[in-house]
Amino acid sequence: MRPAALLVVAASLAAQPYDLLLKGGHVIDPASGTDTIRDVAVTGNSITRVAADIPAAQAKKMVDVKGLYVTPGLIDLHAHVYGYSGSIFPDDTALVAGTTTVVDAGGAGYRTFDDFKKTIISRTLTRVLALINIAGGGMTGSASEDNVADMLPDKTAAVIKANRATIVGIKCAHFGKPGWDAIDRAIQAGRLAEVPVMIDDKIFTNTNRHSREKLLDRMRPGDMHTHVFNDRQLEVIDRYSGKLQPWIMEARRRGVLFDLGHGGGSFLWPVASAAARQGFYPDTISTDLHSSSILIPQSDMPNCISKMMLLGMTLKDAIERSTVAPAKAISRYPELGTLGEGKTADIGVFALRDGVFAYKDAWQKKMLGTKKLECVLTIRNGRLVYDAEGRGFPEWTSAGDYTVIP
Amino acid sequence: MRPLLLLTLATPMLAQQPIYDILLRNGHVMDPANRRNGRMDVAIIGNKIARVAPDLPAASARVVVDAGQYYVTPGLIDIHTHIDAQGAWLNVNPDHNCLPSGVTTAADAGSSGHKNFENFKRRVIDRSQTRVLAFLNIVGAGMYGAVEQDVSEMDPEAAARMIAKHPGVIIGIKTAHFKPPSWEAVDRAVKAGTLANVPVMVDFHPGDKYPELVLEHMRPGDIDTHFYGRLTPQLDAGKKMQPYVMAARKRGVLFDVGHGSGSFWFRIAVPAIQQGFLPDTISTDLHKNSIMLPRANMITTMSKFLNIGMTLEQVIARSTAGPAKAIRRPELGTLSEGAVADIAVIAVERGKFAYLDSGHGKLTGDRRLRCVLTVRNGRVVWDSEGLSLTDVSRAGPYSNFK
Repeated sequence: MRPAALLVVAASLAAQPYDLLLKGGHVIDPASGTDTIRDVAVTGNSITRVAADIPAAQAKKMVDVKGLYVTPGLIDLHAHVYGYSGSIFPDDTALVAGTTTVVDAGGAGYRTFDDFKKTIISRTLTRVLALINIAGGGMTGSASEDNVADMLPDKTAAVIKANRATIVGIKCAHFGKPGWDAIDRAIQAGRLAEVPVMIDDKIFTNTNRHSREKLLDRMRPGDMHTHVFNDRQLEVIDRYSGKLQPWIMEARRRGVLFDLGHGGGSFLWPVASAAARQGFYPDTISTDLHSSSILIPQSDMPNCISKMMLLGMTLKDAIERSTVAPAKAISRYPELGTLGEGKTADIGVFALRDGVFAYKDAWQKKMLGTKKLECVLTIRNGRLVYDAEGRGFPEWTSAGDYTVIP
Repeated sequence: MRPLLLLTLATPMLAQQPIYDILLRNGHVMDPANRRNGRMDVAIIGNKIARVAPDLPAASARVVVDAGQYYVTPGLIDIHTHIDAQGAWLNVNPDHNCLPSGVTTAADAGSSGHKNFENFKRRVIDRSQTRVLAFLNIVGAGMYGAVEQDVSEMDPEAAARMIAKHPGVIIGIKTAHFKPPSWEAVDRAVKAGTLANVPVMVDFHPGDKYPELVLEHMRPGDIDTHFYGRLTPQLDAGKKMQPYVMAARKRGVLFDVGHGSGSFWFRIAVPAIQQGFLPDTISTDLHKNSIMLPRANMITTMSKFLNIGMTLEQVIARSTAGPAKAIRRPELGTLSEGAVADIAVIAVERGKFAYLDSGHGKLTGDRRLRCVLTVRNGRVVWDSEGLSLTDVSRAGPYSNFK
């Protein structure tokens, strides 16, 4: 009996080369130009096939995703999961939003990066990458963030070189003193380690730093300015004429990147609407997710994408700016941000709902929209980690005396 | 001319001076503690509920929320959570996990003990928007692995002293994860509860000695949690409720849900509830694992009970007045005039929805509860539909914005 039974098991294994099959969804994979109905098969932690009509019998588990969009797991280029007082744990905030990679934007500096690695990066399901703060003590308030004496390009570059797997760039944030010290040192560290710098300037301070000079003379091609729709640190729009500043487009032509960095204070409908009307959208969509931006403004990735769509961006374009574009910005493309065969199976599945939805900005004003992108299911490293509609599991009444169903 | 003009303008303006800060208008108020169940307005001044009555004039409020499509309930109380306490890896940040669910009061269930409670209070309780209360672990070092088996760490007098220092914040004692057969942890927790005059929440699973636990060791008012879990012998082989559970309820022992990643199973909860055994308190056992696939946040957990067949009023009562009574804070969980303005505005959506239990078994149902707005201490802290917010098109020119 035994060998025969084993044979049957073996035969069925051979017939089921895939562990998981997402069937019938509309795949948007900007990297390959796919924008149509496709099945996606996963084996172990890798994407093994993206094709039309993969038979359900070839997979151990089939999840019907008809009517839903299937995309690469989203990459949030600007999140806070360490160091900053509002930082939050990524798994219960990112994975439920279809975000499988978060980039911590400057929580740790060269002094604290090891602690970040030990307490957060090594323990999350979410892939956590980091922009290391040019301030040695990280994003822990002005005592650290204004301390030019502890902004050390050599030491910062050394930590980056020792942690290439997780550190993808440098963050310069909240520098409250006048002048260019912090930005220049961050860029110097970026040159030494050959990584980009993300700039987040100080709000409401007379810093003597004009955006034109910052974007055209100081920042390098590939450096990023975040909080693009917060006009108090980066004047995208002339406040009185409502016109897009000409040097913004000039900076874009030079290769400076503009990141959304929604956050609690950095998304303003009047600024964003005026910019969008003049054809200016952020290169990368990101949340600046922290403990207050996640509440009233609800700045998670699907909401940020929905807001960009309300400003006229297509879903396909918004997905590209949430997958391929951030992966390229941190030199992780095509390793991340695609559904390519052989790539790590990080996948988001979304519903695009119709109705009337309120989208809120930093001034607690709302704009109503008729579409809302909502995460339904998330796969991280080949595992189903979030399933809002129970699509991947059987009715309890048909499962007998079940224990935990994988 | 000037004074006269001012006078004419001032009179009607004064008459329209808002007297309420927030008015939740025309919602279906469900306030089990006060037996309210019908269309009413709820008015807030400062951080207090000022009036609950039909047809309050909208012009008399600074912010008017049209709650016509929603239920307005007291802020929910989740008495079994695991809030971020230093070192306890699975614990979560309270605000973004509680406030979007309508939870305004969360009790941490034993993450800290008498040795580290004050650190927890400084770091988390004092800094959260959510009202965070605590069951103090009978283990001095709290819920930190191996130490939970160390009886010498369980000092009832020290626990009672810490409770006396923080009345109303520490609202009970927790014993958890102690391995049977010894009754030591339960008995010491009960001793501390008696010394401090607070209830004990019990997570202890002595197998076939369970009747002894709920009929002899626990006192009336003590809370048995994880009731619909696999380690509690609540059903017999034929899925009939065991008589000793009814007897324990009769003597005043309370039964709490504590959903978690291992303790809520449709194959247990559905037959128990069909036989009329409803939980006294609905709670989540919220932590990093339970929040993912089983989606054991408060509003989803309540939706599960609604779809199993409990009425909305039963579900709300066991998430507001029920837990308030269990933790002996009856001033919470109500919309009484004069009470702190902790309020949830809840949508009951109709459609096809599915829910997973701790074993990932699925229950498909036709209703879903969703919290659309939360008021905590008189402030709107969650507003998914923007009900309290002005439309940007009516906000005036951009140069006016501050």
